Amino acid sequence: MIAVAYGLTAGCELRARLADLYCAYDNALNDGELEQWPALFAEDCIYKVIPRENVEQGLPVAVIYCESRDMLTDRVVALRETALFAPRIARRMTTAICLRTIDGDGMHLTASFAVFQTMPDRPSELFLCGSCRDRVMDDAGTLRFAERVFIYDSTIVPTSLVHPL
Amino acid sequence: MDTAIPPSTLAARSWPDGGTWRVPNWVYTDPVVFQREMERIFSASDWLYVCLEAELPKPGDFRRSQLGNREVIAVRGADGAINVLVNRCSHRSMQVCMASRGSAKEFVCPYHQWTYDLAGNLLGVPFRRGYRGQGGMPDDFQPEQHGLQRLAVTTRHGVVFASFGAPDESLETYLGDRMLGYFDRVFDGRDLIVLGYMRQRIPSNWKLMFENIKDPYHASLLHVFLVTFGLFRLDQQSAVEMDDTGRHAVLVSRRGAQESNEATSQMRAFRQNFALRDKRLLDPVREFPGDATVVLQTLWPNLIVQQQSNTLAMRQIVPLDARSFDLAWTFFGYADDTPEMRQRRLRQANLMGPAGLVSLDDSEAMLLSQAGIDQDDGAACLVEMGGRAVGNEPHMVTETAIRGFYQHYRAVMGL
Repeated sequence: MIAVAYGLTAGCELRARLADLYCAYDNALNDGELEQWPALFAEDCIYKVIPRENVEQGLPVAVIYCESRDMLTDRVVALRETALFAPRIARRMTTAICLRTIDGDGMHLTASFAVFQTMPDRPSELFLCGSCRDRVMDDAGTLRFAERVFIYDSTIVPTSLVHPL
Repeated sequence: MDTAIPPSTLAARSWPDGGTWRVPNWVYTDPVVFQREMERIFSASDWLYVCLEAELPKPGDFRRSQLGNREVIAVRGADGAINVLVNRCSHRSMQVCMASRGSAKEFVCPYHQWTYDLAGNLLGVPFRRGYRGQGGMPDDFQPEQHGLQRLAVTTRHGVVFASFGAPDESLETYLGDRMLGYFDRVFDGRDLIVLGYMRQRIPSNWKLMFENIKDPYHASLLHVFLVTFGLFRLDQQSAVEMDDTGRHAVLVSRRGAQESNEATSQMRAFRQNFALRDKRLLDPVREFPGDATVVLQTLWPNLIVQQQSNTLAMRQIVPLDARSFDLAWTFFGYADDTPEMRQRRLRQANLMGPAGLVSLDDSEAMLLSQAGIDQDDGAACLVEMGGRAVGNEPHMVTETAIRGFYQHYRAVMGL
């Protein structure tokens, strides 16, 4: 369920729709359905994966930085068609999803995430964890992410970040 | 220091075939080899990359950095000069600095509050004279002999290097004229600006990172993304060059047309019908003199200077043990970049780092290489592409720079 920040009101229906969006996002990636992933974003969107140390210092470089749904699609095609990587399963957990404000730019939410990674013949391990700063828009009746920023806590990524967070 | 090494272990090792066109797997696995590397390569008189001056704009600004398996504090002193100090209190060896970066007037050890100035001099020892005539340090204790260990430091055009030893050559001589020319191509004296950091922990020996960047042969075969978009191709006019010792090298590539020809037919990599939907990802603009579009410079023993189109980064190699290292990326631009150029650098950073559409292939390849190496440390790798000699080559079908690296490595390591 989506929590709502103190002082803000949001009906059960909106909360349920937001919960469905977050659930669809996690399911698409947990199930390895990368091709479904860009459709969860608005055409004009920002997607970033950035270490916390850069955010804290106001430094812009992100590990993944996409400025449109097309760029997300390009990344999926590049991963499918061009990248070499050892097989792995990435499973994400999203929690403490909180609707913070609603303004002309959309709904602003925060969340915490953890991604666990399982390599073949290896025990599962924590891969990355951190927080999300999200903005959701109502796109003609469908909720989509206009912005998803994943801020990971550690400075260190174990080996490679293959699948998008 | 060598007495710490059980001599029997390395004495039992012998380099196969006597030449650097074979590299024995044990150089990637043996902890005794690693220990000797830390002593002879990372703690000797070599110039090690520390950080950029732009990270320490004002007196008191500091950041920590790892040189080999030791941690240092790089700090701009009150006089404006940069000091590089080992992060270890002379009292009980505690790390005196816990913050990754920040600004300080002095460094105070949290344990017993021994206090050092920004040059590492020991300023104060609480209760040095004891309390009411009791206790305290011996009368002959000399604070000036117990500062933080301070490294020799040199800078060139905004880049900071340090050495644990007493280098008998300047950085300029250490790099040599040819490598200095490539270094100055990116570091041309303009003010730099840091755009951000990335860091990844790779489960392989640190030397595999250097070998990866010294090996242009793999780039057109492994990196399908690069090949598909014509960013780096075997049939492009290119070069592999080294300094006189073989320890430093540079790969230079010039962008060619994307076309099918005899070279692409040998690259399973080439995808003819793949076009980006959002072209902004690859919108390189020529910004350096000459026609090179990619210049990757490997500087012994811990730095790769990356200029890949418009992404500029220092890739610092931090060895952790024989089977793992951290790759610490510092992305930068120039203070006078236009907003468009800055944006271009941020976009092209998508090709680099732990999720890079190009460099992802490399971190995964190193993981798989080490896994293969670990199966048999009695085996050896073949490094014969382009012959068995060490020399500059005007093409990419060569592993000459890996041979050059091991030529120097063997001399330093006595292997």
